[in-house]
Amino acid sequence: MSDLALMAPELILIGMALALILVARRIRTAPVAAIGTVSAALAAALASGWLLSRGTDTGFGGMIILDGYSQFFKILIAGSLALVTLLSVRTIAVEQLPRAEYHALLLLASTGMMLSVSATDLLTLYLGVELMTLCSYILVGVTVQNPRSNEAAIKYFLIASFASALLLYGISLTYGATGSTTFVAIASALAERGLANSPLLVVAVSLLVAGLAFKIAAVPFHSWAPDAYQGAISPVAAFLAAGSKAAGLAVLGRVTVVAFGSEAEVMSLLFAGLAAFSIVVGSILALAQTDMKRLLAYSSIAHVGYALLGLMAGTPEGVSTTMVYAFFYVFMTLGAFGIVIGLGERGESLEGYRGLATQRPVTALLMLLFLLSLTGIPPTAGFVAKFGVILSALRAGHPELAVLAMVFSVVSAFVYMRVAVLMFMEEPQEEVTVDLPVAVSAALAVAALVTLIGGIFPGSLVRWAVSP
Amino acid sequence: MLGLFSASTLFLFVIFWELMVIPLFLIIGVWGSSNRVYAAVKFLLFTLAGSVLMLVGTIALQHTCGTLDFKALSLARHCLQPNSQAWIFAAFLAAFAVKVPMFPVHTWLPDAHTEAPTAGSVILAGILLKMGAYGFLRISLPILPDAVRLFIKPMLIISAVAIVYGAYVTLAQKDVKRLIAYSSVSHMGFVTLGIFTLTRNGLEGAILQMINHGIITAALFLCVGMIYERTHTREIKDYGGVGKTAPVYSTLLALFCLAAAGFPGLNSFVGEFLVIGAAFGTRGWLGAMAIWGVGLGTTYLLWLYYRVVMGTANPTLAGLDLELNSREVATLTPLALLALCLGLYPELVLSYLHAPVAELLAGVVP
Repeated sequence: MSDLALMAPELILIGMALALILVARRIRTAPVAAIGTVSAALAAALASGWLLSRGTDTGFGGMIILDGYSQFFKILIAGSLALVTLLSVRTIAVEQLPRAEYHALLLLASTGMMLSVSATDLLTLYLGVELMTLCSYILVGVTVQNPRSNEAAIKYFLIASFASALLLYGISLTYGATGSTTFVAIASALAERGLANSPLLVVAVSLLVAGLAFKIAAVPFHSWAPDAYQGAISPVAAFLAAGSKAAGLAVLGRVTVVAFGSEAEVMSLLFAGLAAFSIVVGSILALAQTDMKRLLAYSSIAHVGYALLGLMAGTPEGVSTTMVYAFFYVFMTLGAFGIVIGLGERGESLEGYRGLATQRPVTALLMLLFLLSLTGIPPTAGFVAKFGVILSALRAGHPELAVLAMVFSVVSAFVYMRVAVLMFMEEPQEEVTVDLPVAVSAALAVAALVTLIGGIFPGSLVRWAVSP
Repeated sequence: MLGLFSASTLFLFVIFWELMVIPLFLIIGVWGSSNRVYAAVKFLLFTLAGSVLMLVGTIALQHTCGTLDFKALSLARHCLQPNSQAWIFAAFLAAFAVKVPMFPVHTWLPDAHTEAPTAGSVILAGILLKMGAYGFLRISLPILPDAVRLFIKPMLIISAVAIVYGAYVTLAQKDVKRLIAYSSVSHMGFVTLGIFTLTRNGLEGAILQMINHGIITAALFLCVGMIYERTHTREIKDYGGVGKTAPVYSTLLALFCLAAAGFPGLNSFVGEFLVIGAAFGTRGWLGAMAIWGVGLGTTYLLWLYYRVVMGTANPTLAGLDLELNSREVATLTPLALLALCLGLYPELVLSYLHAPVAELLAGVVP
């Protein structure tokens, strides 16, 4: 296959982004841009699937790869792009955002994610991750008149640039130690020269992991996330919580298994620490939140911790449990954000959920489904995901982390069930002001379907989660 | 619930186990009485804390043995070291102990039972509490025999404490529903006591006692619920002299109270008799504690009956039609008949238990 054909999904997204920018002035209504973006996302997903059916391949001199792992995440990213686009329709109209540019940025950020998940070279990886974060800065600050959004964007920009510097420094140290930036070459250099556990490499690996941990907001590199989520408009927060975390986890997974297989011990230790801190801090801080988006931000921090449990083992089975976790997490978190968005102004604060069940029974039930899934209660997908990563933690020889993770899932159950209690067991205080828009309903239906089907027939998806 | 008791693999068992929690959480929280949210959240957190540890235990079993099928696991149990067995047992114990509930993790039960609507209390008492004991029989005994032998002493002590402590706390209750709820703690103590004597009589008695408790406590909650609908009070002191205005109700209540107290000829007597006999066989003082518990049980139940049904009629109840209607009689009669039948002819149930219990014991007792 030609090199360009390998990048068909990315090219489709870039093409749509450029087209939107070119005709920006002619787009008068939000739905037009949204339809374009959703169809580009679907086309990209189809292209990914089609490429996968043609077998695996590498391109651009071993810079990118086409394999089950990359295509799995590309389809996931395309799916989250489509859902976020659907969720954005009303917000764009309300906030009067520039339609074409907003969608173009979403498309380009997704392109960056796709590039980074198929990267087999540290430089491609860096390019992809940076493309994603650069677009995210602008997306967070897209409501220019809102000072809070500006503050969030600046904070995010400063911290994430620092993280990028760490990442680059790690890359350069790796290059210095091994003489290469390609994953396979790094692995063979490590094996040949017996560099495993040399101090230089330990520093390089730690910097790489730290840089990427910023992007997925794992504790202690999480401080930007709650502010950025709260300041950004809800669809963008959902996009950050879902797509960018999935991409970050994917990158970490490939780097761990392919490039630094010989550093498994150091990696395992780093991931164990990040996971434990993320789970503990994320769950506990979520307890105190009264803003729904901040609550979801802390919950996403805790979830990253759970997902990292899978990477800790450093084995292909472990990575595939993380893949499953990332997949289901994207849909359930998008679902929860979808409800927040669907309820409009009211959905942003916890108080707004008071008595929702009597006013909007279907919406409340859907929210309950997503909350149960986030808690990890069967028969939802969250349970399957959690089961996998806990199994992987035990396999890696960390029973104490498995117990810690489960104990804190009870803490997080309290967080989520607080919302359920408000919805089902309290009297409503506010009037329902807005109806769920059609686009949001569609996105919610998809998310709910995946959450349920994933919980009842996990095998249908788990089969596709093949690690690199 | 049916799924739980018919599950043939641990994975399904865990799924159905957790599946039970949320509907009950909503039943208590949405249709409960005044303090419902507190009770619902407490119930949820207690049970979740137990069940997540069970999940860890399940995953550990999957990890070491490679299977979650009950049959395969009990055959392949040599794959577990005694040490890891003990840990896995502890993980499962957390879940089962909360559900049974064993002392000292029983505190969710009075709140949940008291605040839940009648139907919720009946489900809780009749079925949910049995899940824990069923778990002991289904998982702990056949799959983790070494750990059972290791834990047997503390388990017996906890059970005996639950019986006596539960009975004393019951004596002090002023709220009818709370009283019955605490009596469950004491009664379920008999069940766990019987299971961990690891003798044929003890196990058969425990299983029979599970069934008995399901019938009687459910019936008692129904009785309370029916009269609560008329009087809207659960305080014992607001009642009195009900026997004069509601003879049918009083008769049925008497039957169930006597059954719960372990009156000969009614079902609990057989189960308690078997368990106490087994307890005496294991350790003399265990039997003594159990007898003590029965004595206290008779006291609080008859005292409850005395305060509610006998004495002078409470003026606040004047003018209320307390007698049961035919629908309610039709609900309670089958339960009363069952209590009588099992009391007079326990072989009805016991005959089904002989073979499986023998098989179960063959695996545990070396």
